[in-house]
Amino acid sequence: MRERVSFDIHVAMVLRVGVAGVGWSGFAPTTLGTSYKELMFEAARLAYADAALDPRSEIDSFVCCSEDLEEGTSIFDEYVPDQLGAVQRPVHTVASDGLFGVATAVMLIRSGVASTVAVESHSKASDIVSPGRIDRFAMDPVLNRPLGVSATVLAGLEMRRWLHVSGRSEAECAEVAVRNRAHAKENPRASYASPVAPTPFFDPLTRDQVAEPADGCVVLVLAAEERLPAGAVFIDGIGWSQDAPSVESRDWDRAAAAERAARAAYDRAGIDPSDVEVAEVDDTYAYKQLQHLEALGLEGLDPDRVNPSGGALGEGHLREANGLARALACIERLRAGDAHVGVTQSWRGVPSTSSAVAVMRR
Amino acid sequence: MSPRVAVVGAGMSKFVRRAQETGKELSWIAAREALASCELKLTDVDAVCLTSAPDAFDGVHRKGDYLADGAGAWAKPYIRTYVGGGSGVFTAIQGWYTVASGLADVVVCVAEEKMSSCQPHPQGAFLTIFDNILERPLGPNLLWIFALEMQRYMQAYGLDKRDIAQVAVKNKRNAADHPAALLGQADITVEDVLASETLAWPVQRLDVSPISDGAVAIVMASEDAARKLTDRPVWVQGVGWNLDSTYWTNRDLAYPEYVENAARMAYGMAGVNEPRKEIHVAEPYDPFDYKELHHLEGLLLFDRGKAPEAAAAGVTARDGDLPCCPSGGLLGVGNPIAAAGLMKIAELYWQLREEAGARQVPGTPERGVAQAWGDLMQVGTVVVMGNDGGPLTTATQSPPPQSPPLNPRATSLSEQEFRSAAGAVEQRLDALYDWDAGDAIGTFLEGLREQRILATTCTSCGRTLVPPRRFCERCFRPTDGWAEVPQTGSVETFSICHVTWDMRPLEKPQIPAVIRLDGTSEGGFLHLLGEVAPDDVRAGMEVEAVWKPASDRAGSILDIMYFRPLEPELRRELAATAGAEAPLESTV
Repeated sequence: MRERVSFDIHVAMVLRVGVAGVGWSGFAPTTLGTSYKELMFEAARLAYADAALDPRSEIDSFVCCSEDLEEGTSIFDEYVPDQLGAVQRPVHTVASDGLFGVATAVMLIRSGVASTVAVESHSKASDIVSPGRIDRFAMDPVLNRPLGVSATVLAGLEMRRWLHVSGRSEAECAEVAVRNRAHAKENPRASYASPVAPTPFFDPLTRDQVAEPADGCVVLVLAAEERLPAGAVFIDGIGWSQDAPSVESRDWDRAAAAERAARAAYDRAGIDPSDVEVAEVDDTYAYKQLQHLEALGLEGLDPDRVNPSGGALGEGHLREANGLARALACIERLRAGDAHVGVTQSWRGVPSTSSAVAVMRR
Repeated sequence: MSPRVAVVGAGMSKFVRRAQETGKELSWIAAREALASCELKLTDVDAVCLTSAPDAFDGVHRKGDYLADGAGAWAKPYIRTYVGGGSGVFTAIQGWYTVASGLADVVVCVAEEKMSSCQPHPQGAFLTIFDNILERPLGPNLLWIFALEMQRYMQAYGLDKRDIAQVAVKNKRNAADHPAALLGQADITVEDVLASETLAWPVQRLDVSPISDGAVAIVMASEDAARKLTDRPVWVQGVGWNLDSTYWTNRDLAYPEYVENAARMAYGMAGVNEPRKEIHVAEPYDPFDYKELHHLEGLLLFDRGKAPEAAAAGVTARDGDLPCCPSGGLLGVGNPIAAAGLMKIAELYWQLREEAGARQVPGTPERGVAQAWGDLMQVGTVVVMGNDGGPLTTATQSPPPQSPPLNPRATSLSEQEFRSAAGAVEQRLDALYDWDAGDAIGTFLEGLREQRILATTCTSCGRTLVPPRRFCERCFRPTDGWAEVPQTGSVETFSICHVTWDMRPLEKPQIPAVIRLDGTSEGGFLHLLGEVAPDDVRAGMEVEAVWKPASDRAGSILDIMYFRPLEPELRRELAATAGAEAPLESTV
């Protein structure tokens, strides 16, 4: 009889899942001359080499995180297997941020159907000429789109409301952007380490507080404990949730979905926020970093232990690969021995509320 | 061994051509019916597994997030998985692993599709499934690839249209007993199918499942939860899924190897060694009539090319030895893409509980298989389900008063009502992309500009690859170099296409074909045939590329205007015009 686990009850995971390998490519404002397939191939090769696993025989399942309109291709699942070494293998798409793919890999491994899983997500943002039109198509077609506003308006609205209820200041948000870009100076993946002027954008959101687009790909290989080398980083807790899709009925005061995701992840890992030593959280907009830290119960964490990579403000915004970029940075930090317990959090960006949280331990 | 997971409830909307309900509302109808069928409330549900096929149908980016509250996922963990047409069956696989992982006890799986929103014709959503650089400029539509595959299947096994059409007849007749069906027809005959309009030879209108709106939901539970909820759980005994190469023009379309791979994975997990004896009822994926036959062979239930013979002998009839699509399938119940796949899981659930009413297969079926298929003729998703076996308890032996689903709702609108409904809004995505062809395809396009066809080579497996790639997908290593290949080849398969993607008649038929290029290893690509009479085209016919003049060549697949017969006697004054129907505002 298996051990019972439910979403509300804390029971240690029956089977531990950890990181066997990581690989990345790109992380630049543009990767001209390299197609998304070629970006994926480079990241996948590095990840498999890091894991010392042959994808043609030793990776049991493959999960790609993408959305059709981000690619300009309907059923983008069609275009992923070859460059991942996944031809005639179990492959499926998770239409979400990459950290939801990590959750999926954890489930696949714990179910027993796979003991090694590759998770891929990428951004070829430089292929998208009209990102604003795509984001607008994520808004409600009947009630919101006819208003003709950019989806980014929601970030301005949310920031205003959140500053009001939290008592935090615009200056604190500006500090986040400055600090993350300063952190980014040490990061070889960061293209946006230089200071940016605070020009008006979607007031009170200013341009310096917005992550700029970047191309890149991240592949993680996750594996059951018995397939991991000594000293591997474990994914000991994972949680994901979302709030109301409609902007009219969601909670505007807090990142409610991130709170729920964090609670599930902490419970599964059997940790308390005070155990967290390093955090890589979503900072698509600077205020989101502060809001997400509150949702994760990490507002007291040393600011130098928050997005030490520079976050998306420093590395650039990788669309659905943002969660994996944060996870990669967190894994590197734990592998380097800088910390034993780390947290990664992602948010899918306006107008979505979907958020995922992973607790990692080494 | 994985923990046991059961299906404990199912429900669905009616499948209709144009639903008044939004996608969220269709999802809600299905989820609510599924929960009601096992007397559960949303508060009993730990997580939601969601699926839906292209966002382009609903015209909503991140459709999963949009549908989530309708599917019962507000403030709950939800993930949308997606494998094209294979998604509906896959969402049951997702439900299985979500519960089997121990992260949830009870999940609802919801599959939704609202195709009618896509204007001027839902086929428009499929124009962008093709390769953005090598295929879309040719103006392909979905009918082409089905026609190419059907032609190849018929040619490989010497089948005729009558062998194929009998599947449409069986399924549409079966669907007459399905309360949610869109196209049930008790009196349809093979002659009706053969007399229907030819769209893209060999595909005729009644070979094709209808465009539909609808949603289906099932409830899945851990063994403990399932035992508390029902005395007739239907267990998920095996799951399998498999994705073949993107390069569909490089493989033999006569047989779906990826379906066999998925089936072997699912049978292996289920401990099924002899599927022909151990599977009692099957719901293979049937968006086109030949696909049911094709898939039954991939599922190892019949020898290759032999499913038509078995169908003609009545083996696959509802009262046959191996009932196939007793629901009526996609051809009869309808094909709201993702929802249609999950409908097959729901049908097995009802069949294996022996409560399918007028659709119940005879005997006491103990195990069934459901399968879906999708992407570029590329993915197979398979679920094996079984009951506890033995006779039903007396308490549950009475026949159901009505065939399930019990309350399939959806409001069907005429086209005029649909367009004038309050809240109807018209929006264009107008998204622009500037796709980076990359290293390998970029070099290939440069070659075309110089009237050369370039391939990459892999010294490890010895293959010469067209379309070229920087990596060998089989060896998973970088390719080694470039080779120029001849501009001649043979026709692997072809179609005579009489309609545009939005079903307007073409003045002059188009002849899309898969060209197998000489000097390559199963290499080739999609293109058009020209200077040939449609009646003269044969599989295996030798052809050569006809190029645009140098001054007009731009580094595009359209630098080749078309392929023409190598035999001068076969040539006619019928030049083709590749790209005449190029559908999208896109810059390549």
